[in-house]
Amino acid sequence: MRIHALLATAFAICVALDAPAQGRGRRGRGGEQPPSPPTAAPEKPAAVVDAKPKKYLAIVGGDVYLGTGQRLTGATVLLADDKIESVGHNLTLPEGTTVLDAKGKTVSPGFVCVLGNGMGAGRSAPYADAANPFDPEIKQGLAAGVTSFLTGSVGTGPSPSGSNAIAKLAYGDVKGMVLKADTVVGMSVPLSLADRDKFIDTVKKAREYMQAVEEFPKKKAADANLKEPSVPPGADKIVAILRDEVQLWIQLGGRSMNPFGGGGRRGGGGSSASDLDAVLQALEISRILGKGVVLQKPTNAWLVPDQVAATGSMVILSPRDRLPADPQDPDRTGSNLACAAILANAGVPVAVTCPSGMFGGAGVGTGGILGQDLNTPQVDAAYAVRGGLDNRKALRTLTLDSAKMLGVQARVGSLEPGKDADVLILDGDPLHYSTFVTTAVVNGRVVYEKAKEPIYRDIAR
Amino acid sequence: MRKTTILSLLALATAAAAPAQTQAQAQNGRPVAFTNARLITISGKTIERGTLVVKNGKIDAIGADAVVPAGARIVDATGMTILPGLVSAWSRAGLTPPPSQITQRGGDRRGGRGDLQRFGGGGGGSAQNRAATKVMDGLYARQPVFGELLRTGITSLALTPSGNAFAGLGALLRPDGKTMEELRLDDDAFVFVGMSRDGPTKKLLKETFEKAQKVVEARKKPPEKAAAPTATETKPGEGKPGDGKTEAPKGEPAPTPKPTPEPPKPEPPKPEPPKPEPPKPEPPKPEPPKPEPPKPEPPKPDSPKPDDKKEAAASSARPEPAKDPNLEVLADLLEGKRRAIVQIDSAADLLHWHDAVADAVKFPRTIAVSRHDSFAGTFDTVIEETKSLGCAVLLPPELSTVPRARIQTHPARKLHEAGIEVGFLIGDSPAAVRMLFFRLMELVRTGLPADVALRGVTLVPAKALGIDSRTGSLDVGKNADLLVFRGDPLSPSSRLESVWLGGREVPPQP
Repeated sequence: MRIHALLATAFAICVALDAPAQGRGRRGRGGEQPPSPPTAAPEKPAAVVDAKPKKYLAIVGGDVYLGTGQRLTGATVLLADDKIESVGHNLTLPEGTTVLDAKGKTVSPGFVCVLGNGMGAGRSAPYADAANPFDPEIKQGLAAGVTSFLTGSVGTGPSPSGSNAIAKLAYGDVKGMVLKADTVVGMSVPLSLADRDKFIDTVKKAREYMQAVEEFPKKKAADANLKEPSVPPGADKIVAILRDEVQLWIQLGGRSMNPFGGGGRRGGGGSSASDLDAVLQALEISRILGKGVVLQKPTNAWLVPDQVAATGSMVILSPRDRLPADPQDPDRTGSNLACAAILANAGVPVAVTCPSGMFGGAGVGTGGILGQDLNTPQVDAAYAVRGGLDNRKALRTLTLDSAKMLGVQARVGSLEPGKDADVLILDGDPLHYSTFVTTAVVNGRVVYEKAKEPIYRDIAR
Repeated sequence: MRKTTILSLLALATAAAAPAQTQAQAQNGRPVAFTNARLITISGKTIERGTLVVKNGKIDAIGADAVVPAGARIVDATGMTILPGLVSAWSRAGLTPPPSQITQRGGDRRGGRGDLQRFGGGGGGSAQNRAATKVMDGLYARQPVFGELLRTGITSLALTPSGNAFAGLGALLRPDGKTMEELRLDDDAFVFVGMSRDGPTKKLLKETFEKAQKVVEARKKPPEKAAAPTATETKPGEGKPGDGKTEAPKGEPAPTPKPTPEPPKPEPPKPEPPKPEPPKPEPPKPEPPKPEPPKPEPPKPDSPKPDDKKEAAASSARPEPAKDPNLEVLADLLEGKRRAIVQIDSAADLLHWHDAVADAVKFPRTIAVSRHDSFAGTFDTVIEETKSLGCAVLLPPELSTVPRARIQTHPARKLHEAGIEVGFLIGDSPAAVRMLFFRLMELVRTGLPADVALRGVTLVPAKALGIDSRTGSLDVGKNADLLVFRGDPLSPSSRLESVWLGGREVPPQP
C-alpha cells in the first residue's frame, strides 16, 4: 500500500512539475516562448520585386493573327508596359488590367512598312531629336495599320551606304518615336568591273580585319606591344554586314524603289523588261558576302526562286506593279503577279510595299478615303494573295518578314512575348480592302481609336 | 468799356493759355484725378465707380472713396474704363529681320560643335551671338513704330532676340523714347532661350546647362588659393575691375581661383553695377584674346585689360579656363538672379525640351509660344508636361484648330482651366495691337474669363519681364501707365480714348 502511495505521490509530483507543458505538445514549456523566429530570407525577394507596378493591357476575345502565319481564335493578348507579355487562350489577367474587347474583331501585329515617309519621323540624323510626335500624319498611318517604318535613305552606290532609322508611330511619346537607327545599308547593281573588283577587295580586307580582331587577344598576350587592328578604310559597313549588325539592301538597275523621290516611273521599267541579270548580280554579291541580302523590287526574281533561296536572300515586292513583257520573250520577262507566291513557296521571305510613284506621301494614300482607296499596305498584300500567295503567309509580308528586312525582327513583327507591344484591332480580315483599323496600340499605349478620332470617325464603308 | 474789352481779351488769352498750362502743369507733376471711372485693377476686383489719382508719375490713390488732392487736374471719366497699360513681352518692333539663318527648323549649323565655349549659333550665328547688344545697337531709335505702339496702348515694350538656343539678352524699352538713351530702359532684362527640335540645339542646351551648373557649384565653393598665389594675387587685383562680378560685394571668392582675367570676354565693365554688362553679349565673344570689347561704354576696362593681357601672357600656365561670360549669365540664371523667356512653339518642342533639359534644371522662366502649331501640337495637348515646368505660358491670343480640320480648339482656356497661368503675346505691329482687343473678345466669347484675358496682356507679361512691381496693374505705388477706354474694352463698340505713360498723357498722332 505504501508503495502505491509513494508511486502515486511521485506520479502526482511529476505531473505537477510537468503541468505547464501539458496540452502544448512536444514543445514542452514553450508556452511563453515565441513561435520559432520567422526566417528573414523569404521576405527579401518580395521587397525586391519591381518598385513600379506594371501597367497591363489585355486585348480579349479576338481572332489573333500572330504575324508568324499562325492564327488563334478567341485568344487574349496581354501587354505589360511596352512589351508583349503573353498570347494565348484563357490567360489570367493581373489585377488592374485594362481590357480592350476585341470580340468579333481580328487582332494583328502592327504593320511594318519597309518604306515610309513623313508620319512624324525625322528626315535625317539624329532622327530621334527631330521627331514630331504630334504629326497628324501619324494618325493617318495608324488608321491604315502602320506602326513602324523605315525613314531616311537607303544608300545607292557601288558600296554599301545610307543613313536611316526605324521610326515608330508612337503618337504623343517623344521617346518612343525611333526604334533603332542605321539598321539598313544599301548599294546598287549592276556594278562596273572596277567597282566589282573593289567590292570584292573590300570584303576580303574586312574578313581579314575580323580575323585579326578575333586573334588579337591571343596575340596580345604574347606580344604586349601589338596594336589593335583598325578597320580598313571604307570597310566599316561591310564589317557591320558580316557581323549581322545591319542588313544590306540591293537596288536593281538604278531604279529607285522610293515612290516618294523623283518622278513616278511606274514600276520603273528599264530599257529591258527583265532585270534578271541584275538579280543574278545581286545574288552574286550575296555569295561574296556569305550573307543574305534584300532585293528591292526584283520584277523577275520569280524566274530564279531557288537561287534566291539558296543565298538566304529576301525580297521586297510591289505586287501591283505591272511591267509589260517583252513581246519577243513573253514567258520570261515582264512582271508576274505570282512572284510573291513563287518566292514564298521556295522559302524566300517576302515583304510588300506600295507601287512607285503613286502616293503623295506617308506611305499610305492621301488622295482618297482611308480604307476605300486601295492605298493602304494590306491591299498590296492582298494582291500577293491574288497572285497565289497563301493567305496565311500573306500577313507575314507586312509583319515578320518585313521586320526581318529592316533588321528589327527581335523587336517588332509578331505577337510574341518580349516583343514591342504594337498591336492592331481590325474589324475584319486584315488583308481585306474594306477592313478598318478600330484601335491601334504602339509601345503599349492606345494611340488611335477610330471611333474617337475627329476625322476618321466619320469615314464609313 | 475799354477796360472790359481789355479784360475780356485778357480772359480769352488766359483761357486759351489755360489748357496748354494745365498740360504743362500736368507734365510738371500736378496730380491728375480720374473721377467716376470704372477701374479694372487687374490685381484686385474691378471698381465700378471710383477715382484714380496720379501723382508724380505714380498711382497715388485708387478706390471708390479715394480723395482727390487739392490742385489736381480733374478728368471726368464718367462712362470710361481705365485699364493698366499693355505689356508686350515679345516683340521685334524696330529690328530688322535677322540676317542669315531662319531660326525655327534650320538649326543644323547651330550648336557650336567644335568650340566648347561657343553656343547660340554657328557661323551666321555670330551675328546673333551678340544678339542682346545688337538688339539695342542694331536698333534705329528714331522710328515711328515705337510711338505708334505707344499710342495703341503698349506702355511696356520688350525687345526680343531671335535664334536658337541661347540667342542673347532681351531688352526693355521705353516706348516714348526718341534716342537710344531714352529708349533704353534696361538692356539686359531677360535671357532669351529658343527651342527647336533638332539634334544640335538639344545637345547645346543640355551641355550648356550642365556647364552652367558647374559654374554655380564652383561659385559656392570657398576660394582655394591657386598654386601660384602671387600671380593670382595680382591677377585678382586686375582681374577684379576687369571682372565686374568679383568686384561686386557679392563676396564671391570663388572667382579668385579662376580669376582668369583674360577678360578676353571684354565684359569687365564697371564693377559697380552688380549687373554685369558683359553678360550682355552673352553669346561667345568673337575670339577670346580680343580685348577690345565691342562696347565702348566701359572706358575703364581698357586700361586694366592690356595689363591683364600682359599678365596673362606672362603668368605661367593657369589651369583654370577663362571665364565665359555666357556661362556666367546662365549661372546667374540658374541661381535665380535673372529670368528667362523660353520660346517653345509646339507640344513636340516641349517634349523635346523635357528630353534635353532635365526637370532638375530650374530657373525663373516664362514660356512664350509665338504661334499655334497644330501640326506639331498645341500646348493643350500636353497639359501635364506644361504643368511640370511650373511657370506661366504666354500664348498667341487666338484659337487654334484640330490639325487638318476646322474644329476649333481653345488652348488658352484649356491651360487656364488646368491651373496654368496664361498670358498673351500682343504682337509687335500697331495693327496687331489694335486687333488685340477683338481677339481677346473672341477668346472671352468662347469661354475664357474676361479677367484672365485682360490679366494676360498686363500683369502676366509684366511678371515675365520682371517689372510687375512697377506696372501691370492699378495699384498704389505703381507707375501710372493707363489706358482710358470709352466703354468696356472687351466690347466692340469701345474706343481707346487716351494712353498715359508714367502719369503723362501720350499726345495723339501729331
